[in-house]
Amino acid sequence: MQPFFEATDYFPADTDGRVEAMAKVTGKAKYSAEYQAPGLCYGFFATSTVAAGKIVSIDTTLAKQADGVIDIITHEHKPLVPGLADETKIRESRFGLPVFHTDKIYFKGQPIALIIAETLEEATYAASLITAIYHAETHNIDFELSHPKVALKPDGKERGSLQAWQQAPRMVEAEYTIRNEVHNPMEMHATIAHWTADNKLKLYDKTQGVNNVQRTMARLFGIPNDNVEVMSEFVGGGFGSGLRVWSNTLAATMGAMQVKRPVKLMLSRPQMFMLTGYRPQCWQRVKLGADENGKLLGLYHQGRNSTSMYENFSEGFTRECRLIYTVENLKTESATVPLNLSTPTWMRGPGDCSGDFAIESTVDELSYLLKMDPVELRLKNISNEKDPETGKPWSTNYLSECISRGAERIEWKNRPTGSGQLTDGDWKIGYGMAVGMWGAGRQNASAGIKMQKDGSILVQTAMTDIGTGTGTGIQNVAHDSTGIPKNRIKIELGNSSLPPAPSQGGSTGLSSITGAIAAVCNALKQKLVDYATVVDNAYKGMNIADLLISETGISARSGNAPSISFTVLFDTNHIDTIAVEASAGPGDERQKFSFCSSAAHFCKLRVHTKTGKVKIERMVCTVDAGKVVNSKAAANQISGAAVGGIGMALMEEQNADNALGSLLANDLAGYHFAVNADAPIIEVAFINKPDFNSNPSGAKGIGEVGIIGCAAAIANAIYNATGKRLRDLPITPDKVLMG
Amino acid sequence: MKPFNFIKAAGGTQTVKQKKRTGRFIAGGTNLVDLMKKHIEQPEELIDISGSVPASIGKKAAGIRIGAMARNSVVATNPDIIAAYPLLSKAILAGASPQIRNMASTGGNMLQRTRCPYFYDPTLPCNKRNPGTGCSALTGDNRMSAIVGWSENCVAVHPSDMCVALAALDANVIITGKDQLTKTIPFKNFHRLPGNTPEQDNNLPADALITAVEIPGNAFQKNCFYLKLRDRDSYAFALISVAAALHLNGTTIVSARLASGGVAHKPWRWYSVEQFLEGKQANAQVFQQAATLVQKEIKTLPHNVYKATMLQGAIEVALQNCLNA
Ligand SMILES: Cc1cc2nc3c(=O)[nH]c(=O)nc-3n(C[C@H](O)[C@H](O)[C@H](O)COP(=O)(O)OP(=O)(O)OC[C@H]3O[C@@H](n4cnc5c(N)ncnc54)[C@H](O)[C@@H]3O)c2cc1C
Ligand code: SF4
Repeated sequence: MQPFFEATDYFPADTDGRVEAMAKVTGKAKYSAEYQAPGLCYGFFATSTVAAGKIVSIDTTLAKQADGVIDIITHEHKPLVPGLADETKIRESRFGLPVFHTDKIYFKGQPIALIIAETLEEATYAASLITAIYHAETHNIDFELSHPKVALKPDGKERGSLQAWQQAPRMVEAEYTIRNEVHNPMEMHATIAHWTADNKLKLYDKTQGVNNVQRTMARLFGIPNDNVEVMSEFVGGGFGSGLRVWSNTLAATMGAMQVKRPVKLMLSRPQMFMLTGYRPQCWQRVKLGADENGKLLGLYHQGRNSTSMYENFSEGFTRECRLIYTVENLKTESATVPLNLSTPTWMRGPGDCSGDFAIESTVDELSYLLKMDPVELRLKNISNEKDPETGKPWSTNYLSECISRGAERIEWKNRPTGSGQLTDGDWKIGYGMAVGMWGAGRQNASAGIKMQKDGSILVQTAMTDIGTGTGTGIQNVAHDSTGIPKNRIKIELGNSSLPPAPSQGGSTGLSSITGAIAAVCNALKQKLVDYATVVDNAYKGMNIADLLISETGISARSGNAPSISFTVLFDTNHIDTIAVEASAGPGDERQKFSFCSSAAHFCKLRVHTKTGKVKIERMVCTVDAGKVVNSKAAANQISGAAVGGIGMALMEEQNADNALGSLLANDLAGYHFAVNADAPIIEVAFINKPDFNSNPSGAKGIGEVGIIGCAAAIANAIYNATGKRLRDLPITPDKVLMG
Repeated sequence: MKPFNFIKAAGGTQTVKQKKRTGRFIAGGTNLVDLMKKHIEQPEELIDISGSVPASIGKKAAGIRIGAMARNSVVATNPDIIAAYPLLSKAILAGASPQIRNMASTGGNMLQRTRCPYFYDPTLPCNKRNPGTGCSALTGDNRMSAIVGWSENCVAVHPSDMCVALAALDANVIITGKDQLTKTIPFKNFHRLPGNTPEQDNNLPADALITAVEIPGNAFQKNCFYLKLRDRDSYAFALISVAAALHLNGTTIVSARLASGGVAHKPWRWYSVEQFLEGKQANAQVFQQAATLVQKEIKTLPHNVYKATMLQGAIEVALQNCLNA
């Protein structure tokens, strides 16, 4: 069996587990819905049974009589949220769905009532007794039928001209479609809302960003940010669904206000499919021209994605084609298609993941037309030195190295150059590859350190750890910066009263927070030098780089300053703790350079000619994500993303009935994501070269690139195996068989 | 979920006496509880049969008897089943997940309801759930629907894997009626086609209790195979499944059994193919010819045309695999 991930010269395979592992495996880790509050009661949504129209009336009589029911919130019976008081405010709030502040129905499954009861069971049952009369209007959830009617608009700056390459010697052009996909993390979205005073709100909320929830709720309820405390210490997955504040948070808070007791509201699994966003379905067309030698001459990428009737969400899938290749002539256009569905949102590798499928399938198709190895074609056209969009030099970009290393590992040389050439009984075997890129961002973040008299430290930040290993990454960076042993570094995360940090999303989490950690470690060292100077003047003016911190105390790397124990240090200064806080963020370097993470995905698979079954045999992902600060968590990010990519390629699809305006099979048996049986051991390797312009740790974002390119690599391998170019995701067995 | 009463079954023939029309027996609960959560089933009383209906598996003179409470995981790993009825073990292991199989009972598996997505959403028309409201799948999403034996009133398929093997192996269902009398229903008559009454999945009399399943002895141990094609490799219902079993004398087929899941409202036996195979040589050409015979029987719907091709391929592959087993 292949090793889980490849240790390289740059980093040895470390053996440390996650900081939160014990808490998680022993059940001590508490997720939002698992907290208690005095007098806690339970909420449950009753939802609309029509997809468009207006509520005429809601009958709550039966529900009110049911056991345990305390109150029922509807648009006619509610505490008015100041930030949603009228149409203008609703629009300006940019909150999204104004639950209980409108009688309009935008989609089936929209909450029309919140039942609050003594127990969850009572609330759930009472919700089933609610009936409503609607003035139903014609709904439309048919993307296929609707999208051609929406005009495309320019999306991004046009490069060169479209006319310049219409006579290109080699030309490929095709359309691609992808169905709705949902995040559905294991932990369902849940909120416990507790008004601890008239204008003080405490929230346990499943989110990827506590400060985002804090600001949003403070604004909606017209109270200062400091009056809202949001906790999300452990998060059972997000994939982007926790980047917005959804109706459950608002409704629980309204409920708690109404009944003057804390209210817990957790979405049911079916509700997760409509109330927490999804990757919108899309249509794309790509036209690509090249000369006989495979030099790309022009690219024309168009696409449309679905959105809701009450918000515009553009996926931005035309971004990806601007990042990877040097193409002088490039034009992109896009549009959104409003449907009677809830608003989509960012889902792992948002936009780029969808765009990449179309672009990288097209590049593959071109390679066959040119009779050129797709690896060679890519190496020839990748923009290694500079960002083709801005012209700025890449700070670092090792995509070409990713490709070469991946090709070697999967033994690309064994790939048949034409399609349909390798057979094994009824099976056809094929190889495919694709690349993916993601702009490596960084945001402002803060962190604090509290050092105790025993020399142990607690590192604190509001940033969440959504299962990505942020806490462990922070511990590693703090250890590297201070020398304090890892078992003496504790981490506290996911609380809005801790030093503020951005939401964990867009692969910027670690990149943003490690800068703050490095800064706060320096602040701690400076404080230690200052306090040491009080004990012994030899420390005066010492450069913090010369300070050594051990288990027992501090000393100097060189010179004649004596060692000082923590006891002496703290006692002499009459202090119990040392507390420091620091912030850091992007600077000038962002003007000088462009930043990216990148990956090459390789796949070997077999396709059964009589049943349409696809079996992935090997998946190799080679990734440039700067320095890897936690190799296990990093490899885990990539393999998880690749399994997501397998799902995207072969099975993920939110079914719907267009005539009835309804989603179908919205549970985890009906919506198929990939399981272990569908995935081989994902072979992950990192280039692991630091990018110190990115942030002091040298790490670049890692969450997204693992999935961007997977779907195309798989589709390309299916083509190599069978000669069938399948352009509609997911590629289920029926499509393979009939394609 | 609607509040309900929960009682333990009295045991023996007393259990059926306890059962009211508005009550339900609960075995593993893996299907019933889901249906209750969605308000599709709203029983006033649950009678827990897990402690009283037999869970044992015992050899009999002419076969084997499996207690209705025997869990799917226990049946699939029972040495006597593996030795004498490997097809049944293979079929069970192709279904659900280990966790669900640990709970799921033999009786409950037979009575599980269809997974037609419309059936599971009480806001949508569905004749099986609400007779007379119409069949949404007929004109809607019927990618997973039936290709044989369906009616305009319902195009749903029976979701079980275990039952496909039981159909192929000519099992018998032992029941205790409301009258406390024991009866035997041949497996092939247990489930029904939708016709005009799709709300009825099977011919189990109202309030009757399944106590056991019996399978006669056979000579299919050496050459049998269960092939399940699905959207993912585990924890998914069949698009098409095929249970195939051959009794060979040298290379000559003495007798054959062939049944499918994912094609009809009941586990479907391909009798014409079985007849065709008997007396023929077991080889790729014969299997290929045999598989084409199903085409005469089937009638696809707009979104499941692929099933015709997939089924033919699946039968060929399953038969071929009987030789490699
Ligand atoms: C996510 C998921 C995936 C699944 N995938 C598969 C799959 O791939 N293949 C497959 O075959 N199955 C699959 N199953 C279905 C599973 O096999 C059934 O749910 C299970 O077999 C039902 O058995 P049970 O004992 O839990 O029944 P219960 O839920 O307890 O009962 C089901 C019905 O049978 C009745 N009943 C039970 N026992 C008796 C009895 N002895 N006499 C009379 N009536 C009785 C109950 O009243 C109820 O109406 C899946 C289920 C789930 C939830
Ligand atoms: S196929 Fe049967 S179960 Fe499905 S919608 Fe039609 S009637 Fe209901």
